[in-house]
Amino acid sequence: MTIDAQTESRADDVPALDADDRDARRSPSRILGALRPARYSGLLLLAVFVAFFSIRLPETFPTSSTITSIAGDQSVTLILALGLLVTLAVGQFDLSAAQNLGMSAVLCGALMVKQDLSPVLAVTITLLVGVAVGVVNAILVAGVGIDSLIATLGMSSVLLAVTSLVSNYQFVGPVPEGFQGIANAELFGLPVVAVYAIGLCFLVWYALEHSPAGRRAYAVGASPDAARLAGVRTVRYVAGSFVVTALFASVAGVLVTAKIGSVAPTLGPAYLLPSFAACFLATTQVKPGRFNVWGTVIAVVLLATGVKGLQLMGNQLWVTDLFNGLALLVAVGAAVLSGRRTRRRRRRAS
Amino acid sequence: MSSPDASGRVVLHIESLSKTFPAQKALDDVDLELRSGEVHCLLGQNGSGKSTLIKILAGYHAPDPGSAAVLDGRSVVLGSPTIRDHGVAFIHQDLGLVPDLDVVDNLALGNRYAGRWWVSERTERTAATRLLDRFDLDLDPAAPLSAATPGEQTMVAIVRAVAGADTAPAVLVLDEPTASLPQHQVEQLFGLVRRLRDQGTAVLYVTHRLREVFDIGDRVTVLRDGRRIATRPVADVTSDGLVELIIGRRPTAFAPSVPTASVDVLLRADEVVGEQVDDFSIDVRAGEIVGITGLIGSGYDQVLGIVYGARPRTSGEVEVAGRRLDPGRPDRAIASGVAYAPADRKRLSTIQSWTIGENLTLPRLPSAGPARWLGQRRERREVEPWLKRLDVVPDDPDRLLSLLSGGNQQKVVLARWLRVDAQVLLLDEPTGGVDAGAKASIYRALAEIASQGRAVVLSSSDAEELCAVCDRVLIMRNGAVTSVLDKDELSVARIVSETIRDSVAESLEGPTSDDD
Repeated sequence: MTIDAQTESRADDVPALDADDRDARRSPSRILGALRPARYSGLLLLAVFVAFFSIRLPETFPTSSTITSIAGDQSVTLILALGLLVTLAVGQFDLSAAQNLGMSAVLCGALMVKQDLSPVLAVTITLLVGVAVGVVNAILVAGVGIDSLIATLGMSSVLLAVTSLVSNYQFVGPVPEGFQGIANAELFGLPVVAVYAIGLCFLVWYALEHSPAGRRAYAVGASPDAARLAGVRTVRYVAGSFVVTALFASVAGVLVTAKIGSVAPTLGPAYLLPSFAACFLATTQVKPGRFNVWGTVIAVVLLATGVKGLQLMGNQLWVTDLFNGLALLVAVGAAVLSGRRTRRRRRRAS
Repeated sequence: MSSPDASGRVVLHIESLSKTFPAQKALDDVDLELRSGEVHCLLGQNGSGKSTLIKILAGYHAPDPGSAAVLDGRSVVLGSPTIRDHGVAFIHQDLGLVPDLDVVDNLALGNRYAGRWWVSERTERTAATRLLDRFDLDLDPAAPLSAATPGEQTMVAIVRAVAGADTAPAVLVLDEPTASLPQHQVEQLFGLVRRLRDQGTAVLYVTHRLREVFDIGDRVTVLRDGRRIATRPVADVTSDGLVELIIGRRPTAFAPSVPTASVDVLLRADEVVGEQVDDFSIDVRAGEIVGITGLIGSGYDQVLGIVYGARPRTSGEVEVAGRRLDPGRPDRAIASGVAYAPADRKRLSTIQSWTIGENLTLPRLPSAGPARWLGQRRERREVEPWLKRLDVVPDDPDRLLSLLSGGNQQKVVLARWLRVDAQVLLLDEPTGGVDAGAKASIYRALAEIASQGRAVVLSSSDAEELCAVCDRVLIMRNGAVTSVLDKDELSVARIVSETIRDSVAESLEGPTSDDD
């Protein structure tokens, strides 16, 4: 619990260490810092989950069908979470993303089933509508200046209404077989939707963590005033982030439709909590204190494994909600506590 | 608390105080003795242990075992916040005020409201007004504190700390209270400090400004590298002697830059109008360092932000090297070669939770290739030479910025703008909260910047600083430039008297020329 433990986590990414650093590494605080598992504690916890459920459920848990089902189910959550990362990076919340997903799924299905549109046309229209939602969010937050929590909460309710209107409270589907193939075809033994998700991970990882635009987005999130004075067009970044998040939500919605064929009108809200929980859990992983892609991946898999194991053990459905909720509280609690520890360290150092 | 005849009695005695942080020894066997009725100045560069000492007093840090402290004849435990219950009051650099709340609420925070069970707005306002009047503070108690200037906020914090008890506190610790105060408010504050001293309070006064030591100090203690170098009566030391004690070697006089005769006007502002500023015009030539000063409220601390586009400009023209600058567009200002470093380093000019490297590269990110890939190794390579060039300690790009001292943070800010090759640097209070040693190196950096054919405009409330570095000083009053002093007219006395000429009548303590 020293300054060293703090710098340790950042210094790890840097290959060149001078002699002083290497000597300092041998001091007890350095070693403690190196052993401090916080940055990858999610992976450790994942290993514990896998071991625990494998021992308790040797027949059902450690099977390829478990892997396939987690990969298939969680790809959609992951894509939504990747979208949320973009708004979270600039310091905003998009609560409407989950319902945008639900609306896109129902709309895409309805366009094909009720209007008999070709899949290509249906998907195009759906994505355009999804992006339009993002544009409206951007105008409300960056233009009008409504707090993002309130603006997207309102938008979420509007989208819920649109979803009900389009679906008439009925299941929409089934969508054409060929269309279902875009999500369910197998590639390398995994449903192709998981491959999409991994591809998008790399895309967002590059865009947020290794491109100038991403760095500026984080600057807006860290300190909008300082970012503006350093020449960042903060309004543009805030506005753009809502459009990107909406696009990801809409893509995730289309993929859900393809994956499950028949869409329930109540689909959206179920994605809200797991995706946000994953994003916040991610701030305790890999790059502590920042919303980051690989932390989010770890978090999504961790949450999904826990839920899957509990379900296989014969628990009721409410276990899912309980688990996700508790995980969110624990994650944010851990983030706040580790932030407090960092501040204390800083205070000691000055 | 103590009668006048008890003055000279030891109120607080600290013995062999040490503090070891993992990386360095911040305090090494320091003794300190505060007597009632004295102002005891604490001097030292940043990193000399001043802040650590005060933080231990205030109970933020626990000292290494082996130290002893006696307060008013009773032994006390250092490193515990309970010391505040024994009549020790603190004014930290971070004033601990809530900008969104009004003055009444801020005064009540940490103390209590005038009403015990029922908070009536009128009673509270009357009580607050009475308190403010007692300390000669002209503030609307119902206005939010954010509307007050930094100087006024400092005064509110001091009033609050002093008003806490019915009697004067036994020990009052002031940590650089004048960093953002103009001269006439410094005088007011000193009046208040002297009043408390005469009532028997022992004042521990931390400062970077040597002149203040001679203005108000009775004794002075100098720390260097965590060790107590000397404790002397102020009457027995000279300014040069103190500097020598602080930096451990003879002071080399700072040589002001020779103005290079250049005709190229780099920055031209014409009748600029904005908040607190009614009429500001300036021509700055390449190679010049121009200072702007004035009282708080005169607009001197707002005008550079308006010129840059950080704050709204309602009318007027700004041209950089012949190109017009749009109002409210920092990004275009940067593209035209203008850089701006606000006075509020923590909130506005840096991102404290980021690393040194990330702060340095933000205006122009070192991306490579068609994908504009931003890699850590490349960024490090890009940043390191700049840290060396400006002598930033530590020169590790991956260190969190908040771990650096104020002076080093300011050097990172300068490095950031030199890296994007800014031609015009606008700096608000460039050495606010910066120690004597780092100040000199920042002055050197500014002179070097000017000698490269760039232009520097800085606003400052420190007349000594303006004399030391500027080729020309503009003095503002009520939102307009009222006089310009050229190099050969520059003196502390002249700047101060020009600054407050019109407000002498308003201020109660008016002596102005006794401080040079």
